[in-house]
Amino acid sequence: MRRRDHDVVVIGAGTAGMVAGARLAEAGADVCVIAKGVGSTHLAPGTIDVLGYAPGRVESPADALTSLAADHPYALIGSAAVADAVDWFTATATAAAGAFPGYAYVGSLERNLLLPTAVGALKPSALVPETFVAGDARQLDGLTVVGTPLLRDFHASLCADNLRAAGLRTTTVSLEVELDRVDANALGFARRFDDPRWRAAFSARLAPLLTGAGPVGLPAVLGLRDPHAVLTDLQAQLGRRVFEIPTLPPSVPGMRLFEILHHALRRAGGRLVIGAGVVSHRREGDRVAEVQTATAGSNTTYAADAFVLASGGFHSGAITLDSHWQAHEQVLGLTLTGVPDAGAPRFVPSYFAEQPLSRAGVAVGPDLRATGVSNVVVAGASLPGSASWREASGEGIALASGYRAAEVTATALGAGAIA
Amino acid sequence: MLSLTTEVLVIGGGATGAGVAWDASLRGLGVILVDRLDLAEGTSGRFHGLLHSGGRYVVKDAPAARECIAENRILRRVAADCIEDTGGLFVTTPWDDPAYADRFAAACRETGVDCEEITVAQARRDEPRLHPEISRAFRVPDANMDIWKTVWAMAHGAQQCGARILPYHEVTAIRRDGDRVTGARVRDVRAGEDLTIEAQVTVNASGAWAGQIAAMAGIDGVRVFPGRGIMIAMNHRLVNTVINRCQMPTDGDILVPIRTVSVIGTTDVHTDDPDDHTVLESEVDRMLDDGEKLVPGFRQARALRVWTGVRPLFEDAKAAGTDTRDVTRAHALLDHRQRDGVEGFVTITGGKVTTFRLMAEETVDAVCDLLGRDTPGSTAEQPLPGSESGANYRLGERLARKDERLRQEQTICECELVPRSRLEHALAETGSRNLDDIRRRLRLGMGPCQGGFCIYRTVGIMHAAGGIDAASADASLLDFLQERWKGVWPILYGDQLRQMRFDEWVFQGVLDVGHLPEAPA
Repeated sequence: MRRRDHDVVVIGAGTAGMVAGARLAEAGADVCVIAKGVGSTHLAPGTIDVLGYAPGRVESPADALTSLAADHPYALIGSAAVADAVDWFTATATAAAGAFPGYAYVGSLERNLLLPTAVGALKPSALVPETFVAGDARQLDGLTVVGTPLLRDFHASLCADNLRAAGLRTTTVSLEVELDRVDANALGFARRFDDPRWRAAFSARLAPLLTGAGPVGLPAVLGLRDPHAVLTDLQAQLGRRVFEIPTLPPSVPGMRLFEILHHALRRAGGRLVIGAGVVSHRREGDRVAEVQTATAGSNTTYAADAFVLASGGFHSGAITLDSHWQAHEQVLGLTLTGVPDAGAPRFVPSYFAEQPLSRAGVAVGPDLRATGVSNVVVAGASLPGSASWREASGEGIALASGYRAAEVTATALGAGAIA
Repeated sequence: MLSLTTEVLVIGGGATGAGVAWDASLRGLGVILVDRLDLAEGTSGRFHGLLHSGGRYVVKDAPAARECIAENRILRRVAADCIEDTGGLFVTTPWDDPAYADRFAAACRETGVDCEEITVAQARRDEPRLHPEISRAFRVPDANMDIWKTVWAMAHGAQQCGARILPYHEVTAIRRDGDRVTGARVRDVRAGEDLTIEAQVTVNASGAWAGQIAAMAGIDGVRVFPGRGIMIAMNHRLVNTVINRCQMPTDGDILVPIRTVSVIGTTDVHTDDPDDHTVLESEVDRMLDDGEKLVPGFRQARALRVWTGVRPLFEDAKAAGTDTRDVTRAHALLDHRQRDGVEGFVTITGGKVTTFRLMAEETVDAVCDLLGRDTPGSTAEQPLPGSESGANYRLGERLARKDERLRQEQTICECELVPRSRLEHALAETGSRNLDDIRRRLRLGMGPCQGGFCIYRTVGIMHAAGGIDAASADASLLDFLQERWKGVWPILYGDQLRQMRFDEWVFQGVLDVGHLPEAPA
């Protein structure tokens, strides 16, 4: 049995866990992020949606955040921490010494951008990669959506037709591209776009087919190594602004987001261990003293003074509902809240209505501390009180709560104010 | 108003109705078949997939057992491609009366249902997940049958003989001319148009809805008691053989492996409304508990989907008594000339999917009587289109095809291995732009992810193929999500809850379908 000791162990490598880990490392803590697998970033579009619907479409998240329920994660985090987190993230993502030089996140809490999805709905987002900006429907008159039959996870004609219904002058191009096989997912295409010659050939083929006005929307596959260069090249070659539209998972912009946070964590001296699912834990009094992970070869014990739990909700498997309809927090056996009582409906017959179970999460106090233990702070989708998909708030909650969890934890450790 | 003329009008596109259309077409009769919904969308498409050996009925209902084994042997030949020869086991679990096993074995001998007792050790070698405390095990020729494939093969076969198959055509009135039924007035619900169909004989093959159709013809006393039963599809083949409890038939005592899933069923609850698809939590719990008795650890497996079907249990109010004990699972063929003095109208109801061919044959015999023909039926010999080789379906066929064309063909639905070419073929062939219709043809979206990936892809391809605008494409997508949810939310726990939360992420978080122009408020 291997054993490792850290100041802080963060459980979960989604946006919340990675932000908490990076912030704690920056504060000088010896921090290790452990996770069963990669998290939300590889699925979500890579935008930071702070608050899109409440329940009507939100124009300014900063304004709307103040009117949420008292048990909503944003109310627990506090609007000052939300603003600080957004500033920190924007600076981190855009830093010259960051993962992708030149690649910036754009936006603010003051005004949401309105971005096309792959089905042609318009989704409000607060912070978006620079590769999304030209798709902001508020700034658009006409646009061209480009797809290829070889990418089954993005359908330009449907996307364009819905955008047309929303009042945007939209044209479509279906481009035949050359691959060595009949399909590739977004990741496969992104690797090809990383190759300057491949993307030059792509542009050469596409340019003569562009007839309509305005920017060109492409599936979100514009590279994983140097997306800023891909965007710059394409815009120069096509003579138009270019933007990305998120595809079905895997999410290329999301993987970039993961790299940005991973880079920040490493640069500050933190570690990340993927493939380390927590299988048990040991408590000492009201403290969690250590967790054991199942890793290749033998199990590993991680002992720490403090833990940040950012392992996610029902979608990640960190919170489960068994066949006798009992809910469990799987990682540390913490108390849950927001779970409907036995006999009360967990779900309702309308798919589009809010499901009663959707706001369940780990019970926390006002400073995100898990109820019943003294050294665990909770962040991200583990938190109760939000309906993240309906609100378009998941990534914003993850960012802000990860940031706030690091603050609370660092203070408790006596590591001083975070730089 | 458009008017069509035919010799035989069949009302109902389930296994029986399609069987009647196929049988009558083979006998050279002109046929039009109508159904208010898609083919096999009623009771037929909502059964557990079991082609009975007859073992279930040997003790309780010997004639039913004899019918089942005879039909089982015929269908294995003529519908070979729709049937997987899984074999079946009857096992005595600790909860079953041990004395039943000997009665069962004796009754199998009397009724001619092939049955071989095997050692418990052998049974557990064949099916390692079986409950370790079973005490007896009998092999029988149960199998599974893909009912959608079967019904579509019959419909295609009938079409090749000139029949017209009209799904989404709802009967709005039965035409009567004095004491004669002369066809029906139907509404094409997709086009929103009415048409009249003039027929020499009208066959009411509407199963659980037969009383409603008969009443439209002014005929009363055709009482069909819908018996609602729930079934749950579990992910994976928990077993590869049909498993039956060796006891008097009751609830939750059959586990049927079919395609990529295992289906547990069922219950029998009287309902007044054949369109009642209520699923109670207590019924789900009961099925899961019953599953544990067959396969320990059943509750840890992933429940994919729950649905209910309504059996048409027939009682003839004009028969000798009106005691509900006369309610029977046997099929009933009513010649309304004899019964009610109404010419040109026949009702076939009751029965079970295993015996649909026989029901259809007897019905067409009666139709021929009315028409003064004496052509014999040939469905016991004539293979269905696609089944000519006589080879049974094998699990793994789709995977083998996929492997052959790995780099030449896109896969649209990974769970059910549906290639793009099959989807495009189905879109072209059916002309349907309804995702649920496509699902029934291809099993698209029926696997573990329940459409999480393939549904967006399919809508995109459907839209690009033309014939549908964005609003209709959106509506089809949203309808599919709502329809899927109906069969999912009552059994959401464990990994399937995790899956659905992931799917929500895709549909709401990535695509934001809740804010399409067509989305419900």
